Amino acid sequence: MGLRVVKRDGLPLWKRAILYLSAVVLALLIGAAILLFLGVNPLDYYYQMFTMGTVNNPIAYKTFMNYIKELLPLALTSVALSLAFKMRFWNIGGEGQFIVGAITATYVALAWGPKLPTAVTLILMCVLAMVTAGLYGLLAGFLKVRFGTNETLLTLMLNYVALYALYFVGETKADWNLFLQEQSARPVFKSFKDIVAFPMIPIGDKFKLTSCVIFTLIIGVAIYIYLKYTKHGYEISVIGDSAGSARYAGMKVNRIVLRTVFLSAALIGLAAAFKVGSAGVLSTAITDDVGWTGIIVAWLAQLSTGMIFLVSALITVLQFGSTVAAATFRQVDSSFANMLQGIILFLVLAADFYTRFRIVRVKKGGKAHE
Amino acid sequence: MAENYAIELQGITKSFGKTVANNNVNLAVREGEILALLGENGSGKTTLMNMLAGIYKPDSGRILVGGKEVQIHSPEDSKRLGIGMVHQHFKLVDVFSAADNIWMGKDKAGLPLRRRRYDEIEEIAARFGFSIDPRKRVYNMSVSEKQTLEIIKVLYYGAKTIILDEPTAVLTVQEIEKLFDVLRRMKAEGHSIIIITHKLNEVMDISDRVAILRKGEYITTVNTPETTEQALTEWMVGRKVDLNIDRPHMETTRPLLEVRDLTIRNDEGAVAIDKVNFYIRGGEILGVAGIAGCGQKELCEAIAGLRPIESGQMVHKGDNIVGLSPKAILAKGISMSFIPEDRLGMGLAPSLSITDNMLLKKYREAKGPFVDRRAGRADAEEVIESLGVVTPSTETPVRRLSGGNVQKVLLGREIKAGPNVIVTAYPVRGLDIHSSYAIYDILNKQKLDGVGILFVGEDLDVMLALCDKIMVLCHGKVMGVVHAHKTSKEELGLMMTGALDLSEKYADKPAGIAKDSLLEPESAEEVRRESSTN
Amino acid sequence: MNKMDVITSFLHAIVVYNIPLLYGTVGEITVEKSGSLNLGVEGIMAVGAIFGYLCGCYANSLGVGILVAFLTGALCGLLFAVLTVSLQANQNITGLTLTTFGLGLYFFVGNGVKASPKGFPTMSNFENIQSGFSDRPIPLLSKIPVIGEGLFSHNLLVYLGIAIAILMWWYLRHTSVGLRLRAVGENPAAADSVGINVKLMKYLHICAGCGIMGIGGYYMALNMSGSFNSSCWINGYGWIAVALVIFANWSPALAILGTFVFGFFNTLRVSGGSLALAFPNVLGWLAKIPTQMYQALPFIITAIVLVVTSIRNKRGSSGLPAALGLNYYREDR
Repeated sequence: MGLRVVKRDGLPLWKRAILYLSAVVLALLIGAAILLFLGVNPLDYYYQMFTMGTVNNPIAYKTFMNYIKELLPLALTSVALSLAFKMRFWNIGGEGQFIVGAITATYVALAWGPKLPTAVTLILMCVLAMVTAGLYGLLAGFLKVRFGTNETLLTLMLNYVALYALYFVGETKADWNLFLQEQSARPVFKSFKDIVAFPMIPIGDKFKLTSCVIFTLIIGVAIYIYLKYTKHGYEISVIGDSAGSARYAGMKVNRIVLRTVFLSAALIGLAAAFKVGSAGVLSTAITDDVGWTGIIVAWLAQLSTGMIFLVSALITVLQFGSTVAAATFRQVDSSFANMLQGIILFLVLAADFYTRFRIVRVKKGGKAHE
Repeated sequence: MAENYAIELQGITKSFGKTVANNNVNLAVREGEILALLGENGSGKTTLMNMLAGIYKPDSGRILVGGKEVQIHSPEDSKRLGIGMVHQHFKLVDVFSAADNIWMGKDKAGLPLRRRRYDEIEEIAARFGFSIDPRKRVYNMSVSEKQTLEIIKVLYYGAKTIILDEPTAVLTVQEIEKLFDVLRRMKAEGHSIIIITHKLNEVMDISDRVAILRKGEYITTVNTPETTEQALTEWMVGRKVDLNIDRPHMETTRPLLEVRDLTIRNDEGAVAIDKVNFYIRGGEILGVAGIAGCGQKELCEAIAGLRPIESGQMVHKGDNIVGLSPKAILAKGISMSFIPEDRLGMGLAPSLSITDNMLLKKYREAKGPFVDRRAGRADAEEVIESLGVVTPSTETPVRRLSGGNVQKVLLGREIKAGPNVIVTAYPVRGLDIHSSYAIYDILNKQKLDGVGILFVGEDLDVMLALCDKIMVLCHGKVMGVVHAHKTSKEELGLMMTGALDLSEKYADKPAGIAKDSLLEPESAEEVRRESSTN
Repeated sequence: MNKMDVITSFLHAIVVYNIPLLYGTVGEITVEKSGSLNLGVEGIMAVGAIFGYLCGCYANSLGVGILVAFLTGALCGLLFAVLTVSLQANQNITGLTLTTFGLGLYFFVGNGVKASPKGFPTMSNFENIQSGFSDRPIPLLSKIPVIGEGLFSHNLLVYLGIAIAILMWWYLRHTSVGLRLRAVGENPAAADSVGINVKLMKYLHICAGCGIMGIGGYYMALNMSGSFNSSCWINGYGWIAVALVIFANWSPALAILGTFVFGFFNTLRVSGGSLALAFPNVLGWLAKIPTQMYQALPFIITAIVLVVTSIRNKRGSSGLPAALGLNYYREDR
């Protein structure tokens, strides 16, 4: 008797959901074992983590506000990346494009903010961040289209070029460098909270919802429609499926690839503008790794726009909740979150195998049994 | 049993998902014989042989080698049992030399890689009767060189039984003769050979016995000298082949598409189509015959605007179409459908629904930024209805359909667009007889509507019956254009291999140039006058 | 300082600080030659570093440290192989996850040990490690003026790294097993059809390659004298290694050269100032270049190499394995 792996045609959604869910539960169990080893009650820890410490907390509204602040850039970046991935353009340059957008938006806020009305500044921040980030992505797109340069490796390199450019503006004291505080002798990023910020919408007496939520949701819906119902979206799915057929149908494949890569990178730039516009200050860790996490989110959500919002909401609970839990349980380092996230992903990746293949038992000379 | 069988397969069954590729198949090859494995495309020949090669594992059934039951879990097992397979798509590492491609599978190769291996491989190849350059990289090799390398490879690994999967499909007549000589010699040395093919003349020529599969079922095995092509065909297709394909007569129009001195290069930069002339009139089917890879693909791509041309003219109804975008050529009513070997590569988006595939060429026509799926669905329903496509719904991904249905979807869409020139390459590739006839009917109907059709085909019998005229290509050159009812298979065969050149048969009328060409100065002038007065 | 001494110490620094790149690169080449693109180098090096360092200290033995670093790296490789080879998972996603996980594990273990009553081990307390990591001049060669002390007087792990690179070059290029490995990376179906055990080859070389990366991580730990703080010891070297693989055109021998080129810029960042001081007329301009430029240069150069090779696009000249990043499933048709 032996085991054999056979491809399967697809699994109903509910079976897939159960598979993924059991992967997550198993990962949490492994995490629980580690917590027990450290002498922490896993139930208490997970309770803190999943509620993000909001229960019976007088400042829970602040937690929610911070949670949303972290969630938005991730969700928007993942949506943006999914555009390129749909076309099988492996843009892993989200980090770099985010940084370029963030630097641009900050520059606009600091240089022009004092002179212009807030609304105009905000719009300029968004638009210019989109343009510069879009162009940065387009660079890799152009080289891919023109010379067939491997975009995975190239965008990977460009991430670091952007990162060190960010370090450069963040660590260099000079007259021209308006990104830094003039008063401080050490290089410190200058805040522009008082100059310009995205408007907050008060809900209830304390909770304030940033207007970026609304913009992000609108963009999410727009991208959903764009991909599903428009000619552009149709072209993207044809190219992702078979570039040869697209060319044969008279599509200008290169132009569509470039257009979509630009849009993808530009949306990441917009996410960056939202991020700095809410934080009111640039930082060397401005990306919060959304360029990396976004790739994983987009993949987990199988590039479906609605799922991306759901998955990023969950991942953010995990990341944000564990920092909260780490503050309560001193024995557990906050890096536990990254580890747990890794374990969850490994198991989800393994579970994914069973959605695409099934294992069949073969008896010698007999029929195959499932 | 008194006879010594090299390999016996008993009751082999193998399915992929819901499709049964092999159902309870029995097959036996004797020591030192050439067994032809005959069957239409999709009859499960390759699947069956892949189980001997260790690529697939049977769901049930027994395999006996030299009378003993064996389990073949991997190609390694297969190699150890003395079975070697030359796959239709060669399994060679492009960047390796000939010697390294063999050396990589050598069992006791020792650790260091020595320069001596080149000589050793060359020597052993010579002992088998082949001369190869052991240092030549695979990407520099011709198809027949690659095939030779594959054969040397399995011989080198000590194969007693050699399986060849459609080895002649890519070869010229001379090369086929050479291959057959090799096979006969190997047989004389005591090897058993299984050769997969669907060409009857080859079966009669080379084999000792023939085993026939039909739709995954084992039909019978017969001694070659005791059978006839007619009988084999009957077993193979299950009923008498009536090659009486209709060829309705039709008044032709002035040339719709004219090609003059066309030269095209292939992806590697070599000349694929060399100063070719031809024309298609409305209401006729012009066949294009030639050995695979003789520039057919490049020609189709060039007409559709997918490939730049080196020089020459392409004129549609008097208008130059050289340099136009694929979109502009579509707009002129020139439709191109090309069925590549994998049957899904060009013209369809396999993961998208039938509806979405219907929209492929016309999604731009809808007003506004949105795709008009309602129109696509209506088209899909119509094509499903009129061509009898078997599918659960219009929203089924094309990938899930069977080969014949995929091709019907493709051709159905092309015809729905109402073209005036149809370029179609291998439209019946891999189809069973019944689906093929459905396709011929579709093409004939188009012909009666006055459409000009360029039919790039494989099967000469079909072309002789279906086409009005046949153009024969050999290494990118036109060997002549002949009337289908005046020529014979032999003549076409000779032209395909370059043995016969009829391109200058008539001094007053060079092949492929119409008497009433719209390309001649006065005619073109006339047309221009006509169009300006209109 | 004597001007010549400046050059000597500059050369010495190029080697000492950048050998981990060589480990990472040679490890990744080994993995990629089997057709797997592993973006988890950074995380694997971190795992090898923390476990190698801690175990090495506790055992007070450099050998134990190297062994544990190799084994923990190889375990990460095993995880990667199980997921991508057996379970057909996406290689990019698995690699990125491995980086997240590895860095998480690094800090989790490191901070845990730091918070424990005994605290984080200090390297100077373990003389076997300390002396094991000290320079051993090569007789004769190290006596060459100026360059001798710079290039031929190093610690054991430097020699080991170069030995591994040369050995790996010979293995890939000049052995039958290496030939089979390359076949797997180029065309797994072809390799499979001649009876090469594709899965086994992938498993072995992914694990071995990741083990080598682990040693590279251990080296970084020792070079930082094991001082554990909020920034990771690996500090992006894993990603530079991914870049260096491309720069080296998938050749371990060229990786040695590449390590020196990248290391040169890396070292200019640190010691560019002293060079500028020693040779103000010729190299004074070095002091004006921002350090971040040096940090970005490896990536800029690699990007350019990547673009230039794709423009040349000559068949057979690129070492890029044709099946890189693609999973192999035998029954695929």
